[in-house]
Amino acid sequence: MAKQSDFLFNKESSRFFLPWICALMVFIATLVLAGGIATHNSLKLWQKSVAESLTVQIPTYNEDGKSREELVYRDIENALMLLRTTPGVLGAIVLNDDQMQDLMTPWLGADAVVSQLPLPKLIDVSVDASHPPMLEQLKADLAAAVPDAILDSHRIWLGDLVRFANALLTLIGIILILLFITVAITVVYTTNASLSIQEYILSLVHMLGAQDLFITNRYAWHNFKVALSGSLIGFVLALPVMLGVSMFLKSVSGQILQSSLMPTQWLYLALVPICVAILTFLTTFRTVWKFLRRFL
Amino acid sequence: MPNSENLSPFIAEFNGVSLRYNKGPEILKDINFSLSPGSFHFMTGESGAGKTSLLSLLYLHLEPTKGRVRLLGQAIDTMSRSAKAQVRRQIGVVFQDYHLLNHLNAFDNVALPLRLAGEKEAEIKKHVAELLTWVGLEKQMKSYPEELSGGEQQRIAIARAVIHKPTLLLADEPTGNVDDAMAKRLMYLFLELNKLGTTVVVATHNVGLVRNFHFPQLHLADGHLKIIPPAESYSEMANKLFKREEK
Repeated sequence: MAKQSDFLFNKESSRFFLPWICALMVFIATLVLAGGIATHNSLKLWQKSVAESLTVQIPTYNEDGKSREELVYRDIENALMLLRTTPGVLGAIVLNDDQMQDLMTPWLGADAVVSQLPLPKLIDVSVDASHPPMLEQLKADLAAAVPDAILDSHRIWLGDLVRFANALLTLIGIILILLFITVAITVVYTTNASLSIQEYILSLVHMLGAQDLFITNRYAWHNFKVALSGSLIGFVLALPVMLGVSMFLKSVSGQILQSSLMPTQWLYLALVPICVAILTFLTTFRTVWKFLRRFL
Repeated sequence: MPNSENLSPFIAEFNGVSLRYNKGPEILKDINFSLSPGSFHFMTGESGAGKTSLLSLLYLHLEPTKGRVRLLGQAIDTMSRSAKAQVRRQIGVVFQDYHLLNHLNAFDNVALPLRLAGEKEAEIKKHVAELLTWVGLEKQMKSYPEELSGGEQQRIAIARAVIHKPTLLLADEPTGNVDDAMAKRLMYLFLELNKLGTTVVVATHNVGLVRNFHFPQLHLADGHLKIIPPAESYSEMANKLFKREEK
């Protein structure tokens, strides 16, 4: 005998459409949201690095290409002395060749011999983010103590990157909203198609005294389950793609992009299929409720 | 709570009811009648006289374009959708074309009103099996409508209409596809229900039925309703038919 919940639902093709649409939408939405979260994480990392670090460059060659080898170490000493006595500076260290190598790998590749390139010596300066040094004053003091040194607060290039990341986040937000609107429209379409095919059943059940809420609830829960199963398929399929993209980004960007997610952020991703299923429930409920008004 | 002005002691009460579909001609014109609790009526009239339309008004499938219909004591024009659904649950309908659900087997089709009323599965199983046995379909419980003959489908439709012991039973040509013996058997089922208090209206072309069972007729002709008392009903109808043919 049929289960109690079965009598409203005849087999018809339009309902098979819904789980696959949900799977596809959740697959895309999960990847887009993961991209958004990774961008957000990278943005925070960049903003933190702007707030907590400075770099001082000591050129190893003059503008005319002559080596400054005999002056470099004296300049480094002077710069370190100034930096370590500046209020708001927590520490200053000179990057060695290995650290320079790591830093340049994303741009020059692992095979580049950094020591043979005319790169400046870099001093990584840690800053107290809550009481940072006065940058203009520090710049003036550095110019007086080490005239060839360049103080780089990363603000210029990171500022552009932050603006780009913020624009990207807005775009991702818009894409997610469009995806959810697409899901809602698809649910309305498939539900209406299904209701038209099942109108005979609904009309009869209505004539036998079924309350609108009873029919609407059955339909909404049915579509919720269908959408949730499709959404979970989409979510599961998105996971290996996310891991693959994350590994790829790590290999090409090093520390620049923060592509790994925190546990709570995984939870946000897990909410995507649930949100799609809830959206399906609400959209179906509204569509069926409206449809039933055609009966007396 | 229904408005006290709308309350009626009748199971159904029609006052000045007219019906037309869209902008077409009036199918029913100024219909006035009432059905007392526990009454039994035949509904007669030629094809196209409006029997199915009148039944549709009685089971709340249509609303009148004019006049007022009261069902189970309440005026339908002031009823909420929820109240209408509750009224429908107290009405059993045997549709002329059966209206069975093809994706459900005989058992589940008959069980439908009980499931909508939230009956327990054990009770449903017992009552449905009993009734299907009574209408001679105990071996077809698991058969789907498409696997059954017209007569068998009709019996399932009747079983579904009476399974919940409705207050009002409306049957549109319920014996149209069964032999005389089964027609009598089904009529006795309606009579049994009637004895238990169900108000019954049977729309039929079967003059044999009307002749054998002496109940008043709601006779429709040209959109007008005439109530023909049981004693004279058949002879008067025959005379009218005869005279019409002579003309």
